[in-house]
Amino acid sequence: MNQETTITYSKVNRDIIKMLDKPSSKWLALFLFDLAVLGIGLFCFIYQVYTGLGVTGYSHPVFWAVYISNFVFWVGIAHSGTLISAILFLFRARFRISIYRISEAMTVFAVATAGLFPLIHLGRVWNFYWLFPYPNQRELWINFKSPLIWDVFAVSTYATVSTVFFFVGMIPDLAAIRDRVLEKPRKILYTILSLGWKGSNWEWLHYTRAYLYFAAFATPLVISVHSVVSWDFAMANTPGWHTTIFPPYFVAGAIFSGLALVITLVVPIRIIFRLEEYITIAHFEAMAKMIILTSLIVAYAYIVEPIMSWYSGSPHEWGQVVFRATGPYAPFYWLMVFCNVVVPLLLWFKKIRTNIKALFIISLFINIGMWFERFNIIVISLSHEFEPGAWGFYKVSLVELGITAGSFAWFFMFFLIFIKTLPALSISELKEILPAPTKEAKSE
Amino acid sequence: MSDGKKGGIKRRDFLKIIGVAGGTAVVTGGCSPEPVEQIIPYVIPPDDIIPGIPKWYASTCTECPSGCGVLVKNREGRAIKIEGNPLSPINSGSLCARGQAALQGLYNPDRIRGPLSRNSSGKLQPISWDNAEKALLEKIQEIQKQGKGNKIVFLTNHITGSFGNLIDKWLGALGGGRHIVYETFAHEPMKEANRIAFGTDKIPTYHIEKTKYLLSFGADFLETWLSPTEYAKKFSHSHSYNNKAMGKLVQVEPRVSLTGANADEWVAIKPGTEAFLALGIANVIISEGLVTNSEAGKLKGLLANYPPDKVSSITDVPEETIKRIAKEFVELGPSLAIGGGTATTSSNATQTLVAINILNYLAGNIGETVNFGESLTISQVSSFKEVASFVDSMSKGEVELLLIYNVNPAFTLPESLKFEEAIKKVPFVVSFSSFLDETTEQAALVLPDHTTIERWGDLTPREGVYGLIQPVMSPVFSTKATGDVILSISNQVDGIKDQFTWKTFYDYLRDSWKNEFQPKLAPEKDFETFWNEAVQGGGLFMQVESPQVQLSDGVAAVQFTEPRFQGEGDMYFVSYPSSRYYDGRGANKPWLQELPDPITTAVWDSWAEIHPNTAKKLGVKEGDFLSIESPYGKIEAQAFIYKGIRPDTVAVPLGLGHRSYGRYAEKRGVNPIAILPVATDEISGGFAWLSTKVKVSKTGKWEKLVKAQMSMSQGDRAIAQAVTLKEIQNGLHGEEHHEEPDIYPPHKHIKHRWGMSIDLSKCTGCGACVTACYAENNVAIVGKEQVSRGRYMGWIRIDRFFEDDSEDGAGTRFLPMLCQHCDNAPCEPVCPVYATYHNYEGLNVMVYNRCVGTRYCSNNCTYKVRKFNWFSYKWPEPLNWQLNPDVTVRSVGVMEKCTFCSQRIIFAKDNAKDEGRDVRDGEVTPACAQACPSKAIVFGNLMDPESNVSRLSKNERGYHVLQEINTKPSITYLKKVKWDKA
Repeated sequence: MNQETTITYSKVNRDIIKMLDKPSSKWLALFLFDLAVLGIGLFCFIYQVYTGLGVTGYSHPVFWAVYISNFVFWVGIAHSGTLISAILFLFRARFRISIYRISEAMTVFAVATAGLFPLIHLGRVWNFYWLFPYPNQRELWINFKSPLIWDVFAVSTYATVSTVFFFVGMIPDLAAIRDRVLEKPRKILYTILSLGWKGSNWEWLHYTRAYLYFAAFATPLVISVHSVVSWDFAMANTPGWHTTIFPPYFVAGAIFSGLALVITLVVPIRIIFRLEEYITIAHFEAMAKMIILTSLIVAYAYIVEPIMSWYSGSPHEWGQVVFRATGPYAPFYWLMVFCNVVVPLLLWFKKIRTNIKALFIISLFINIGMWFERFNIIVISLSHEFEPGAWGFYKVSLVELGITAGSFAWFFMFFLIFIKTLPALSISELKEILPAPTKEAKSE
Repeated sequence: MSDGKKGGIKRRDFLKIIGVAGGTAVVTGGCSPEPVEQIIPYVIPPDDIIPGIPKWYASTCTECPSGCGVLVKNREGRAIKIEGNPLSPINSGSLCARGQAALQGLYNPDRIRGPLSRNSSGKLQPISWDNAEKALLEKIQEIQKQGKGNKIVFLTNHITGSFGNLIDKWLGALGGGRHIVYETFAHEPMKEANRIAFGTDKIPTYHIEKTKYLLSFGADFLETWLSPTEYAKKFSHSHSYNNKAMGKLVQVEPRVSLTGANADEWVAIKPGTEAFLALGIANVIISEGLVTNSEAGKLKGLLANYPPDKVSSITDVPEETIKRIAKEFVELGPSLAIGGGTATTSSNATQTLVAINILNYLAGNIGETVNFGESLTISQVSSFKEVASFVDSMSKGEVELLLIYNVNPAFTLPESLKFEEAIKKVPFVVSFSSFLDETTEQAALVLPDHTTIERWGDLTPREGVYGLIQPVMSPVFSTKATGDVILSISNQVDGIKDQFTWKTFYDYLRDSWKNEFQPKLAPEKDFETFWNEAVQGGGLFMQVESPQVQLSDGVAAVQFTEPRFQGEGDMYFVSYPSSRYYDGRGANKPWLQELPDPITTAVWDSWAEIHPNTAKKLGVKEGDFLSIESPYGKIEAQAFIYKGIRPDTVAVPLGLGHRSYGRYAEKRGVNPIAILPVATDEISGGFAWLSTKVKVSKTGKWEKLVKAQMSMSQGDRAIAQAVTLKEIQNGLHGEEHHEEPDIYPPHKHIKHRWGMSIDLSKCTGCGACVTACYAENNVAIVGKEQVSRGRYMGWIRIDRFFEDDSEDGAGTRFLPMLCQHCDNAPCEPVCPVYATYHNYEGLNVMVYNRCVGTRYCSNNCTYKVRKFNWFSYKWPEPLNWQLNPDVTVRSVGVMEKCTFCSQRIIFAKDNAKDEGRDVRDGEVTPACAQACPSKAIVFGNLMDPESNVSRLSKNERGYHVLQEINTKPSITYLKKVKWDKA
């Protein structure tokens, strides 16, 4: 790698800020397509609110399904952003520098997407604010025993902290953009966003401190938010849900899926914006190694679950294991095992994990596998509980698919805007690892 | 109050503003195109109506011929629920699903709303009552002029008493027309067999309650046979475990009915050979000297022809079984053998019943468990021969005027009888039906009668039970009692005017009770007292002793033959009456359509039951459409694979497949009668339902068979538990549940903790409780498509589990599952908004208004009894008139579930408070417990150690479903008791 010899501070500025140039017609086409899909999702949602939740595939006793799967999926995705930006920052893992901004953006947008689903799935969504503890003349209060309330707090806290962290990390870069752009509206926008950043030593001193504290503050949230989400299930007595392994299993799974989505997003960006110099094979390899680790943790959980079920001696727990592996949903179960356990094994080979194409394809498999993991946990468990007289079968409906597609469009809408308005790579941090400019350096 | 110093709005100004705003609203409101409706308060309130307090009126159910007494609940002028009349000796306060669903006949949106007449283009068109009656009057006058009065036929269902007499008298006066009383299930072979065996052509009442050993040859007494609610009650009495003993039921039939599913043993007999089995058993009884009956000699010669080995080869029943049953029949007495179920009525049905009579006679059951005193009036209906000859005379053009009342022969007669072709030859057909069914479609004039809930009448289902029918509410539509129509027409016909001086049918009814019943039943009372008592009590009820009967010598002359089957196929075709639709008349009631069939749990459609081996042979799985072909036609129905049927038999329920009968019945399922031949029982001439062999093949079409329950068995999960009789006689022990300590203290209950006990040895799985719950709690009907998505809304469901280990279908376990009102309810902590919580009376309360619809409570419910409102369900006008005003109609997006009928609890508590006392044990009865024919459900206060429910919940058989989850339910189930395997 010879980047350190060719990349200069000004090149970094130029290259990264160039990404914010007037969008191409391709971008516009993509954006319009995205809005169209979002429109479909929105239409489905309005139709669902107007008609009733009956337009979904919910079937007694499967009362949670694709919406909650999406919720857990997106919350999971939201994890690796903060993991990469905060935890790896604390660990001084340099490889984070090129990718952390994209993953942070992904985090914020994924939380924004995840947060929709608890509302979308409500029977009476117009009363959603009842889930918040607000004073009211009827003296009605919320039930702090309910894991759903814990969810409300965990997810909103996480959303707030990750958004602030995202923004704080961007301030010097925004100032750099402010200094470069000429058009009036953009100038004003970035002037406001950069909060008057001047890059003085005094500012840098406080800024780096603050960033460190934010990183420290966000770190426990990475662990807590998905643990709390896992309690939605683990605290219930449903066979297949009621297990103590869920918090670590969910956190590992979340990081696993988040890393995979980072790869999925970074690969095309790297190609489209020609960022090969900044995002190198080494970065991908580091992520691939983390994927191997989290995949192993997830695989461990897959093995522990049936063993514990068998050991419990409960016909309900064991019945659930057998049902997952052999019931009508078995293809989904085995798809999940294949995607999350078997496919990542390929990454043990250096040749594969340094091959961008292979990595991209593997990351897609992991995304699919992790979505189905959530689907399997939720739908398979609910359809085969204690009472054989009340077993059911869930089949997804068009409305749910529409809203799910819409949620992806919602996420990508933000992401597309982000790519064109905010620095996708951290200008200031990229400079940290460059050799400081000297007089001999070729100036422009 | 402040003086309004600081500006702001003064009180006066406020009122002005409100006045203006209100006035504007009125003005704008006035512009709307909606017609102005006025609400007029009672200026002088009627003395006997207190808004909010229901009135109960006694009447008699006419949904089937068994004639149960009913009480109809009336709130502010509308009938809202039907319950059994506790005074009636037939049903003693319980009522089956069909009886309760009569309300949906009353409020059926497809009821004929006024008289109709066929116009020139052949369509039925509304006309006024005056014109309608005039049309009939003119027709009658014309016939009278021509002297063809004997060519009038009045076709009715089984109507006894005054209305029947009026029709007979009227026909007589008009010149001797025929009155055909047509019942689909007429039980003619029973009548004939009793004539042959005992010289009395009556159908007796059986004292199943006194029986310890019941041998049933295909009698489906829990579904449709004679008087199902009565026999369910009696069966529960004899068969439920009590004091270390219980009765035994052996069911002999080719396909296990609901009755068979409740039996302790199923004998899978070759279809139609029951007579030989009965004779074989009798042979063993005599040859082994098990009884010393002086009359046995008469039978020796006859029975000698039927040794067990020969019988075994005819019937497919093993010799040992025959011998064992013979022994048990005598030793485990008092015993009783019954037969004559519709599904097993073949060409030798009378012979079978003669053989059964012989068995009963040998065991000394006549007069003991068979009571010929309380004989059923259904034996008086016209025979199938008469019906067939009537159809014949129609086709010959010998009927000038046909009047049809409450029957639907176009649906219930086999197509091969060609009723529909024949009726077209009748110049003038008048129907009094409330619904546009297949027969009424053929009528030229429709004069809709009131339903039973809106009219006067009487019904004598059997000797000793004289039921009265009284109107419970004013008619919903422009209908008129047929009795009134007859009288008003008669008043205008010359020559008969003076014979029909009554103004209304009510006068006629009173007169006939004055002249007929009072002198016989209570001559000492003055008539007004007698009448008022009868109306108030729903009729007059008394016991009748059984006369002594002797076995007649004619028995020896009976030739016992093997049944004859038509058709080339290799499968016996069993078409059995549905416990939900009877002969099809229930099919237009959504409660019945959505009530899961007790065996298959299927709803809203027909199915064909086949044995797993047959299914394998045909390569068929559940839901595959089977083509069932007889020489008379072909039907297609979805397969249901069922262990409780012989491999050489296929069974299809009756009642569906209507071409017209309103939106709920039309184009739904198949009518197996369509492919039946006109075959009759050789001796009695009654219709033979079991007469056909069919070809069964796979069509290749598949659709999900829509059932309320997906699973067939409970596997290794002890949901519906059972013990064997020996085990419990030896004493149950080692079942002590270890109580885990709890972190949280238990709930505190003040005065009441409501609880329930459900005795699984009593529950027959009939589903009366489910319909009662629908009626009481405004549970929505969702339709077939939604049920197929698992969105069945019933608050109580009957879990049906087939035994895994048994090779046959008998011993199925039924378990009514409803909200357990757990003391440690998993649903409560997970609700984020406290929409469900535990109240101080032990109820798990659901607050609809607070629910946001996260559905977490249902996910965490161990018993899965919570239902969600996926849509805002609608009740088409006027079905919504039935809604119980005491119970909220739930809106879209909220969870709902069993409340233990909290409105009834509140009602009882209010009553008790008014009277300054505590609620008495038994004062609160939820709708399910009230309806239950076998009284399996008991409700009460668990805080009161003396209450019935407290006592039962400490019963040695008591257990909580899924006790290991530690939900601490308020419902205690009592384990079913099974006979040990022989």
